[in-house]
Amino acid sequence: MATITATAQKSSPPGILAGAAVRKLLVLALLAAVLVPFAVTRWSSGAWPEALTVDVSGPLADVSDWIIDNRDSHPLFLYFLGHVSNVVVIAVRAVYLALLAVGWAGVTAVAALVAWRVAGVRLALGTAVAFLVCGLLGMWVPTMQTLALMVVAVAASVLVGALLGLAAGLSDRMERLLRPVLDTMQVLPAFAYLLPVVLVFGIGVPAAVLATVIYAAPPMARLTSLGLRGADKEVLEAVESLGSTARQRLLTARIPLARKELLLGINQTIMMALSMAVIASVIGAGGLGDRVYQALASVDVGAALAAGVPIVLLAVVLDRVTGAAGARLGQAPAPNSRALWSAALAAAAVVAVAGRLAGRLEWPVNWVVGIADPVNRAVDWMTAHLYTGVPVVGGTADWAGRFTTWVLDPLRDGLQWLPWWSVLLTVAALAWLIGTWRTALTAVLAMAAIGVLGVWDQSLDTLSQVLAAVAVTLVIGFATGIAAARSDRVERLLRPVLDVFQTMPQFVYLIPVVALFGVGRAPAVAAAIVYALPAVVRITAQGLRRVDPAALESARSLGATSAQQLRQVQLPLARRALLLAVNQGVVLVLAVVIIGGLVGGGALGYDVVFGLAQGDLATGLVAGAAIVCLGLMLDRVTQPTERRAKKGA
Amino acid sequence: MGTAAPTADNGPKNAGTDTGNADGTGGAGAAVPVFSVEGLWKVFGPKADRIPGDAELTALDQAELRRRTGCTAAVRDVSFDVRKGEVFVVMGLSGSGKSTLVRCLTRLIEPTAGTIAIDGEDVRAMDGARLRELRRHRAAMVFQHFGLLPHRTVLDNVAYGLEIQGVGKTERRARAAEVVAKVGLEGMEQRRPAQLSGGQRQRVGLARALAVDPEVLLFDEPFSALDPLIRRDMQEEVIRLHRDEGRTMVFITHDLQEALKLGDRIALMRDGRVVQLGTPEEIVASPADDYVREFVRDVPREQVITVRTAMRPAGSAEEAANGPAVRPDATVAEAIEAVARAGGPARVMDQGRCLGVVDAPALLAVVAGTAGAADGPAAGAVNEEPV
Repeated sequence: MATITATAQKSSPPGILAGAAVRKLLVLALLAAVLVPFAVTRWSSGAWPEALTVDVSGPLADVSDWIIDNRDSHPLFLYFLGHVSNVVVIAVRAVYLALLAVGWAGVTAVAALVAWRVAGVRLALGTAVAFLVCGLLGMWVPTMQTLALMVVAVAASVLVGALLGLAAGLSDRMERLLRPVLDTMQVLPAFAYLLPVVLVFGIGVPAAVLATVIYAAPPMARLTSLGLRGADKEVLEAVESLGSTARQRLLTARIPLARKELLLGINQTIMMALSMAVIASVIGAGGLGDRVYQALASVDVGAALAAGVPIVLLAVVLDRVTGAAGARLGQAPAPNSRALWSAALAAAAVVAVAGRLAGRLEWPVNWVVGIADPVNRAVDWMTAHLYTGVPVVGGTADWAGRFTTWVLDPLRDGLQWLPWWSVLLTVAALAWLIGTWRTALTAVLAMAAIGVLGVWDQSLDTLSQVLAAVAVTLVIGFATGIAAARSDRVERLLRPVLDVFQTMPQFVYLIPVVALFGVGRAPAVAAAIVYALPAVVRITAQGLRRVDPAALESARSLGATSAQQLRQVQLPLARRALLLAVNQGVVLVLAVVIIGGLVGGGALGYDVVFGLAQGDLATGLVAGAAIVCLGLMLDRVTQPTERRAKKGA
Repeated sequence: MGTAAPTADNGPKNAGTDTGNADGTGGAGAAVPVFSVEGLWKVFGPKADRIPGDAELTALDQAELRRRTGCTAAVRDVSFDVRKGEVFVVMGLSGSGKSTLVRCLTRLIEPTAGTIAIDGEDVRAMDGARLRELRRHRAAMVFQHFGLLPHRTVLDNVAYGLEIQGVGKTERRARAAEVVAKVGLEGMEQRRPAQLSGGQRQRVGLARALAVDPEVLLFDEPFSALDPLIRRDMQEEVIRLHRDEGRTMVFITHDLQEALKLGDRIALMRDGRVVQLGTPEEIVASPADDYVREFVRDVPREQVITVRTAMRPAGSAEEAANGPAVRPDATVAEAIEAVARAGGPARVMDQGRCLGVVDAPALLAVVAGTAGAADGPAAGAVNEEPV
């Protein structure tokens, strides 16, 4: 807890809000003085009281059983969900077969040529190399499986997201209705979506695709709505002044004006879909994610890496190509663009047909370079030499062990020792200080719901990992961000690293940490830190760089040292960006800490994995609900709101 | 100025009968005004409808009205006619309601009260289809920040209005190409708005409005966002277009120089009301109140006021027969030059008839601003705004 409090205080300018803050704390103290003695005498102090929990596993198990029993007979499944499931299976199968039919040469050629037309020669080469590397690593078939699933999931996400976004963009009522839902979905860890989908569809491709769609559609919806609403008012007025109908306005002005946001939405949807398609391997997505998952389960780092590299390559290529498409908007298309497109497609077709005629549809077996064994040998060497007993610095396993003993354990035990009401009170105080009484109320209710669900201890375990990871992330992230903001050279060095790290799906971060630290809670925390760092660094650096140059210049002209400039001008003026960095850091860390359940992180993430693996959906669902509550609480606690002056005080 | 010349003689003659024309067919030969606005109100805020009808509320000033009702009256009880073929300028500082006023004309902003008629047809009573018809064919607007579609080429932006009307691709492109040439953008048809300078963008905006061949062109501060030199070019362009086509124009501006340069008549707005309506010369020569007087204080009067205003009757037959001749719509500045060259009074000649003479003291009085006092009572009659 201490870490978050410290950062919150550091980033708020002293004095301005002191009055309001003191008032809020007084109100809370008064509330506590009345309620706490009552609560303590009525129930107990310490962990969440038994009397206040509701055992939902029984009813959940009943629901689960009912669904399993009725999946083949109930009209809801027969006439609706069954069809959905079948359509998904057929679509994914069709795309997969089509990809195989085109052959590796054809797929590579088509991808490269599309990249060439959309994003230029360099990315075309990069795309071709990426696909060839997937083949070389012996991952061609899993790559195509993942790609097929992605194609279907992205198409569905874009369609659903665009329709929702259109509704929210055109109707204020829909916007008011959808906005909070989409905002909340955006902060929930991917793992939370798995179990409800499995409950309905069972483990398999349909569940994986639907979970992906649920996870990937919100950014599309949000950005569509944002684009439609953000259109230049005067352009719309000009279009109206020419006597256009509402339909004409939408088709010829509003949608084209929102193209940038729409493309950004597609880009984000693709990235989220890839991230989820990999995670969804735990509910039967197959493909690359499944290979990583299987390999991690047996701590086979080499095999995990062989499957992880294609995931990263796929992510980078997809991100760069769609990003470049967005950046090229507004430029006049090349005069002969149509001819070049047809030439590109014809060339791709020729390559595909040639590959087919040559009988080389499948990736040649003797072209595969097995990296699993060398990598595993390297890991073994590392285990032998770096894990422990390195003079002076100690080994990686020693670090992990010490981090667990000295940080994670005391933090967890401390949190679990705290009386339950004091946890609620702390949550309320933090959320109210940073946000409004509404966010505070949501946060407290979410935290209380965790207790009611009966997973108080596991949740506090997860929370302790999150807090430790966030603390480390913020210290490193702010320091790096400040360095990047103050030195152009540092920023130039960091940019490509951040670019790559920010596009990688959460899942692959587990591979290197397992190699370095083995399994356990510390590796999960390490993966979370690495995953959340780029975003924190980037937001911090951008926030500091966006500080009004005039304010900085005037400080400099008054003779402020650079430390004074930073402390008195840059940090206070970048306060919103810093708070956003905290918020993003917390949300991203939580997502990976939960996934850490796969590599021995324990707590809520493990409950989900356990529930899935054992078919004990009730346990998994309860843990999923607790994850949702935890995510909601953490987001609300760190969410700065603009309405503070109006509602908060 | 030259631009005011073709219609400058309309001003004083029609001024007295203007209110008579408001009902449409009054004077002999007076056509139905293109736009006829009567008692127009636009109030923003909660329950805006009650304000125009409430005598107690309408008497309040802006700040008081906002405090009492939470509403802002952007346009207050405005009446005017726009005559066929004239350039009607609405001028005022920012927040005076002029942009709201021009948007009310085609109901881009829905008026709160009052009547608007275009060619005698009630605009406020129009249904959606009829209103679109009005916007498509009868009144086209040019915007301050151009309002171009960034994803379309210049040609397709210009053709956009025709596309909205459902004109086929080949025809609309051909017609757009003509207009593009007319505004001097040949060779830039395939560029995108982002590749153009501000002045060129506004030419596209102008071309888009012209392409639909509207009866009236509405300009909402079209040149405010441009550099001074470009602005002057664009003003010349508008003057040229008006001379060539004689299209009716309603022109909104906050720039007095621009208003005087372009306007056949000017309505000067303040806090939503029209405080004076008249020719540039009338406004400069005889401001209706202190606000207008302060406004026009720095205007070089000799370049706006014509000799028709400055002249006195010829003192003798000899005076009426000798001396250099100037047109009645020549500016005082031009007369000064003639008088200085000749060394004596100049005659104001209209089709061979001597209307009067201007001499050095009369011209000096105009420059010094002391001539206004003598003109005051006579010119006061031309203020159409009764309030």
